[in-house]
Formats: sequence, C-alpha cells, structure tokens
Amino acid sequence: MAAADTAKNKNEQGYWAFVNKQFRKKKTAVISLYIVIVLAFVAVFAPFLANEKPLVCKYKGELFFPVLKDIAVGFGIGEFQQQFQNVDWKNLHYDMVVFPPVPYLPMNQDNDNIHSKGPFDDQVVPSARWKHWFGTDELGRDVLSGMIHGTKIAMTVGIVSMLIASVIGILLGSLAGFYGDENFQVSRIRLWGNLLFLFFAFFYSFGSRSYDITDALGRGLGEGFLQLGISILIFAAVMVVGNLLVIPLKKIPALGKQVAVPFDLIIMRVIEVLNSIPTLFLILLIISIVRKPNLYVIMGIIGLTGWTGIARFIRAELLKVRNLEYIEAANSLGFSNPHILFRHAIPNALSPVLISIAFGIAGAILTESTLSFLGLGPADTVTWGQLLSYARQIPQAWWLAIFPGFAIFITVTTFNLIGDGLTDAMDPRLKQ
Amino acid sequence: MKPVEVETKSGKTESGKKFFFAKISFPLFGYILKRILIFIPTLFIISLLTFILIAAAPGDPAETMLSRSSAEGQASDKLATERSYRELRHKLGLDLPVFYFAFTNAAQSDTLIRIPTKNHREMLDRIVYEYGNWPQIENYYHELKALEFAIIATKKDSTNTNALIELRNTVAKIFIHHEDIVLTGLFADLKTQAALATNLADIKAKAASTEAAYNKVKSEATVWKRYIPNIQWSGTHNQYHRWLLGEAKWFGTETDPTKGKGFMRGDYGISFFTKRPVKSVIWDGLWITMLISLLVILIEYVISIPLGISLAVRKGSTYDSTVTVGLFLTYSLPVFWIGTMAIFFLCSPDYLEIFPPFGLGDATWDDGFFYKIGDLAYHLALPLIIASYASFAYLSRQMRGSMLSVLGQDYIRTARAKGLPDNKVIWKHAFRNSLLPIITIFASFFPALIGGSIILEFLFTIPGLGQITYAAVIQKDYPMILTNTMFAAILTLVGYLVSDILYAVVDPRISYSKK
Repeated sequence: MAAADTAKNKNEQGYWAFVNKQFRKKKTAVISLYIVIVLAFVAVFAPFLANEKPLVCKYKGELFFPVLKDIAVGFGIGEFQQQFQNVDWKNLHYDMVVFPPVPYLPMNQDNDNIHSKGPFDDQVVPSARWKHWFGTDELGRDVLSGMIHGTKIAMTVGIVSMLIASVIGILLGSLAGFYGDENFQVSRIRLWGNLLFLFFAFFYSFGSRSYDITDALGRGLGEGFLQLGISILIFAAVMVVGNLLVIPLKKIPALGKQVAVPFDLIIMRVIEVLNSIPTLFLILLIISIVRKPNLYVIMGIIGLTGWTGIARFIRAELLKVRNLEYIEAANSLGFSNPHILFRHAIPNALSPVLISIAFGIAGAILTESTLSFLGLGPADTVTWGQLLSYARQIPQAWWLAIFPGFAIFITVTTFNLIGDGLTDAMDPRLKQ
Repeated sequence: MKPVEVETKSGKTESGKKFFFAKISFPLFGYILKRILIFIPTLFIISLLTFILIAAAPGDPAETMLSRSSAEGQASDKLATERSYRELRHKLGLDLPVFYFAFTNAAQSDTLIRIPTKNHREMLDRIVYEYGNWPQIENYYHELKALEFAIIATKKDSTNTNALIELRNTVAKIFIHHEDIVLTGLFADLKTQAALATNLADIKAKAASTEAAYNKVKSEATVWKRYIPNIQWSGTHNQYHRWLLGEAKWFGTETDPTKGKGFMRGDYGISFFTKRPVKSVIWDGLWITMLISLLVILIEYVISIPLGISLAVRKGSTYDSTVTVGLFLTYSLPVFWIGTMAIFFLCSPDYLEIFPPFGLGDATWDDGFFYKIGDLAYHLALPLIIASYASFAYLSRQMRGSMLSVLGQDYIRTARAKGLPDNKVIWKHAFRNSLLPIITIFASFFPALIGGSIILEFLFTIPGLGQITYAAVIQKDYPMILTNTMFAAILTLVGYLVSDILYAVVDPRISYSKK
C-alpha cells in the first residue's frame, strides 16, 4: 500500500507540475495571477492603506499604533485609551505622526469637500497630503478609500460565496455522479426509516425548541451556540436511535429488500429547477424577504444559488472517473463506497472544478456589485457597486463612474483570465 | 432546409426533403410534447418554492396596506379599524392556512392564523410555546379582548380620563408580552389603575377575570404537547391553492366577484402597492422585455456567427489575435458599468447628447406608424447595444472555437483533399456542425437575458418585466414578485425548449424518437 501511495503522490505531483508549467506558458494568466495577489494584498491591508487614524504617532511623549489598536478593538481585545476616544485624529497635536497613504475612512465625511469634488476640482485640503486623489462623493466621502475598502468586500464576497457554493456543489455533484441512480443501495426499511427519523430528528431538535434557540441567539452568540449544539446533539441522537431500530426490522424480507436511491435523478431535478429561475430573479426574491441584507446574507445567497455549475461539472467528471480502473481496483480491495468516493474519486475529479471556481469568483464579485449598484447590496459597508451607483445621481461626477467600474472590470477580468488559463493548462489533449 | 450527409444510410428511396420531415418532424413533435409535460412538475415545484419563500417573509401585508391607506384612528375608531383589517386579511386570503398540510406539534392551533393582529399572533404563539394549552390560551385572549373593549367603551368623564388612558396603555402592553414576570407586573398595574377612579367596576371585574384566565393558562399547562408531532390537514381551503387554482368555479359562470380564478387561469391577484390587478401591470412589461430579448438575440447571432467564422478562417493572423483579445475584454466589461458610462457620456448635455437617456419614447396613439417605430428605435438603440455587446463577444469567441474544432476534423481534410474550394468547405460542410455548440449556449442565454433585463431596464428606466420586479422588490409587493418570478421561469423554460428544437433542426443526426 505504501508503495502504491508514493507512486500515486508522485503521479499527482507530476500532474500539478505539468499544469503549472502549462499555466506559466500563458502570459495573460500569469499577469492576472499577479494582479490577484496585489488585490489580495490591498484587501488584507486595507485598514493600513486607508484609515483616518495614524499608523504610528507620538502623542504627549508616548508612542502609539492607533491602526493596530483599532484592529485589536475590532476583535474585542483591548480598548482605546481615554484620551483617544471620540477625537478628531486629523487635528491632534502630535510630536511625530505617520498617516496611512490615504488618510480617510470610506464612511467618514469630509465636510470641507461635500457635493462630489473631482480629482481636478479645487479641494479644500490643507496640503496635497490630504488631497482626495479620486475625488469625493455627494456626502464628501473619499472615493479612493472606498475603493480600497471595497476591494476587501469584493474579495471576501468572491471567495466566501464560492467556498459555500463549492462545498454544496462538490458534495451533491459527486453524489449524483458517483452513485448515479442505481449504485446507492439500501434496504427499504433503512431508506424509509431514515426519512421518517429525519423528520422526527428535525422536529425534536429544532421544531420543538425554536424559541429556545432564537432567544438564546438574541442574548448572545455563546448562549446561542450552546443551544444550537444541544439541538444538533438531539438531532444526532434521534438519527442514531432510528438507525439502531432499523436493524432488527431488516430481518423481515419485505422490509429488508434492497432498493436504490436515485441520487442522480433527484439532484439533477433540483439543479433543473434552480436553473429555471433566472439567478438575479431568484436572488432578488430572497433579498425581498430578508429584513436587512448585510454582507453575510449576500454571500450566503450568492453561494446558495451558485453551486449548480460546479455540481454539474463534478458530476460529469465523476461519471468518467467511476468507471476507471483504479476505482474498480479499490472496489475489489474491499473499500467501502464512501471511502472510495471521498478518498479516491473526488480528489481525482477536483482539479477541473478549480476552473469553474475561478470563473465563479468572477461571477460572484459581479453579482455582488450588481446588487450594490441596484441599491440592494450590504447597507453597512462601502462597495464598488455602491460607489458606481452614486454616479447615476450626479451627472458631473465622472470619477464616480470610472474608477469603481474599472476596479470591478479589472477584478472580474483577472479571475476570468485565470479561469481561461486553467482551462488551457488542464486540457487533457495537451497531455499526450 | 436540406439535410446533410447522413441521409444516405436509409433514405435511398425517398427524396431528401421528405426524409427530413418524416424522420425529424414527427418524433420532434412528440419530443416537444414530452418536454412540455416535464415542464409542468418543474413549474409546480418552482411555484411551491417561490410561494413558500414569500409566505415566510416577515411583516404583515394587510397591516402595511392599511397603514398606508388610513392612519391609526381614535379609540372609538378602533373597532372599525379592526373590522376593516380583518376584512382585508380575508380578502387577501391571509387568514387561511398557508398550505394543504402543516407539520406542527399538538400544542399548536390551526385557528391561531385567524387572529388578525400580527403582534397578537406572535404573543399567542409564544404563550402556546410556553404552556401548550390552546383552549385556555384562547379563552385568555378573548377575556383580554373583552377587557380592551370595555375600556374603550367606557364613557370618559373628568374623574376617570387619566385612569382610562393608563389602563389602555397597560392592556396594549399585555397584548405584546409573554414573559411571566412582565405579565404579573402588568396585571398588578391594572388593578391599581382601575382603582384610581370610582366608576370602573365593570373594568375591574373584567381585569380580574382576565388575570384568572391567565392564571388558569399557567396552572393547566400542558407543555408535553409541544413534543408530540402533529400533521394538520387544511384541505383545499388554503393560501397556496387559492393562489394557484383559485376559488371560483371552473365551469360555468362565477357569480361571486370576490372569488379569484388563480394563477393557472390567468388571475394573478392584486398588487399590494398599487392595488391594481397584477395582470394589467405585467402584460405591458412582458412584451417589452420579450421584444428587447428577441432583438438582442437576433443582433448577437447575426453579428457573431460571421465574425466567429472569419476569425476561425484567418486563425493566427494579426486580425484574429487583435479581435480575439478585444472580444475578451469586451466580454468582461460589466454591463452596468458600461451602461452607466454610456448614459454618462452619450446621453448627457455635459458631454455628448446622442441618445435619449431613458424611457421608450413619447409617441402617442395618434402618431403615424413610422414615427412610432422610429421613436421606439431611437430610444431602444442604446439599450440594445448595451444588452448585446457582452454576450455577442462571448458568442463570437465560442463560434470561433467551435469552427476551429470542426475545421480540424478528418472529413474537412477529406473535403479539402477532394479539391473543393474553401468557401464550399466552410459553408457546406463545416458551418452546420459548428453551429451546434452555439445553439446549446442559446439555452443559457435566454435566462441570462431575462435576468439581465433587471439591470438594463433599471439603467434606462424601461418599464419592462425587470423594472417591475425591481420596483416590487423595493416595495415588498409580494403578489407582483411571485408573478414576475413565475413568468421569468416560464420564459426560461420556453427558451430551453426552443434551443432543443433548434438543435434538432440543425443537426439531423439527433433523433428524439429513441429516447
């Protein structure tokens, strides 16, 4: 076994090395990768790049790091010193101070430069250090700062929502592709028993405890998670009991008869239904019933509606893989089906999914900015789409139309180019 | 249309044309029928999904509708307000169970949904959750109601005005609280407040009996009922059935005008916001969106197919590489950005004023036909360009790719080796086969266009399906959202069907009869 493992590893390494080599050949894809790295850097270090607080300052003889402190406060560790609470950071008398490159926060208003001052307009600023390089919006908020913090939002939305979509898509797609309609056999009683106990488990864990959970969540996350944990335990317990009860009943021939669960049929029907509603309509429908869409809700919605492509991709891949020799070999070695699926089949089918994830991130970023542009995005942050939407209201503010839109364009394009490069690099025809 | 090479196998005796129809048309018809039959369960599931999502929405539509039309009245108007509120809920069918059946527990009651006020329903639901004895709780609620009306009905005079106001406030609080500590305190308040004036004996008695009813709820609690699962059957008298199939008679004329016909029979309900029938709003929007979508598809295919072919034929040339890069960049430009920029720079007096920035024109009924068409075209030109450029770029790239892969096939090499001219090889042998992937794309294009109509119509303020949906989402106008989503789904399914038919027409090798 060990020898086989190392051989497999070697082979896999060979494959990735090959893909890497092919990918490197395509200049546009490589440049895109660098751009994404830059964007990721901007996203991670956004508070250091654009902030009203100084990076370092010497105030009344003491050295402070307000931006770092701010991040710590955001995580709930530490609190701002008494002297820094509710201060105007810009006008303190420092002994020494280093401000971030863009000394503004995206949500803060610069009252001297309201009514959208452009980059070439006369701005009321003490010096070029405080200039709004990309202009301001109607309320006097700095556009460049909004774009820097918007990078964080865009990257988070793209990656998190695709993570959600990939988990659902890979799981359901591989179930459909690997088991098909016939290969998942269970006894009749186990099938029906599980469905029945699923209902009971849900009833006792969540149905009967609904207000306990919501109340606890309202009191605080800790208590909420405790109650949720109890519910999950109840759920698991009911399922275990149900499956134990099934065992003696299986002896009855009529109940013990093996039947197939048509995973493929069910999952493909679900995908068909989801694909029959235009995605934007579906998303708007869900947004209309959410009280206040925040960033998490938006990411969840995009993830929950975006998994069908990945599922179809991996299903098609597994339909091929499941007939390959090494799966047959694993089968004849006596490995269980789930083991083969998760240890052998999925890992080998996963690489093409990378392509659709790359395209998916581009799509998710585009969807989020579309929603923000329509005024339905997260309300508590500044996003690119939101900045762009201000341009519609102010016909003179070309900087509001050009810069955020260009940021969206670049991000979407780079992810698309990476997807394109991966497609070419993984093309099996190149392998021969 | 002429069939391609494959007919030689079995079509010896028949002419090509006859063969084509004999082999394709009839089974195709059966296939279409089959597809339409499959659509029905899909649509049914979509209707269920959207309906349940919307039923789960927070807020009470009747409450919002009423508060918009009439402000909260005086104490004496309270009865009238409550009655109109109840009538409105009945008219909208909100006092019905949501679905044919519901999974609940034994403690929950199926009559709770008839309680008109939303706050009261939530309060009662909490008390049911806590004590699990609906008959006692219902009794408590009725006592509380009686107390409220007794307070409202009591004549105000100089001695009891303050007491009555305080009593009303306390009762209003009792109506929305379920916590035992709070309620006990509030009942104590009631007693002291009723004692403030001398002529409130009736209220005092009612307050006492309400408190007794509450104590009975507590003492006769049956919490265990919460742990007994229960299936409530509501029969066909439910909101979903009412919405989908309606309550009116299917045959013969319906005499009761309040009974709707349901979605299946073309009755989409009444908009919560405009109070107009949804149908009249939607049809106007639907044809605009359809017109734009069909025009966009036409433009895209007419331009991108020849362009893709010309790129494939000149593969590797500078023309090919520049155009391909250009197409890729075009394809990645977000529609709403380019749309905003176009409106910005092409429709504004500050820069260039070439196109009108919004609307569909101002032609009236009396204007001449050509003026109307011209005006519409003038207003649609920019939206059409904006809507088509992105998918046109994508389509051209696909066309180029598929043409290239066809040109690499053996039979093309054979045709070339035979000495056929390039033109003939491309148009006679390669063209039709290279169309197949493009047609597959059509299936995903149509929903994308319908979804994209939201952005496009938002940008250019075109009163189509997308704009209506957007407005409905902002206004939380649920009948409107529901109908729009259903229509978007129906249009999408029709798009899939059309692409299937096109597939069969273009590729005679595909036989649907064997499926």
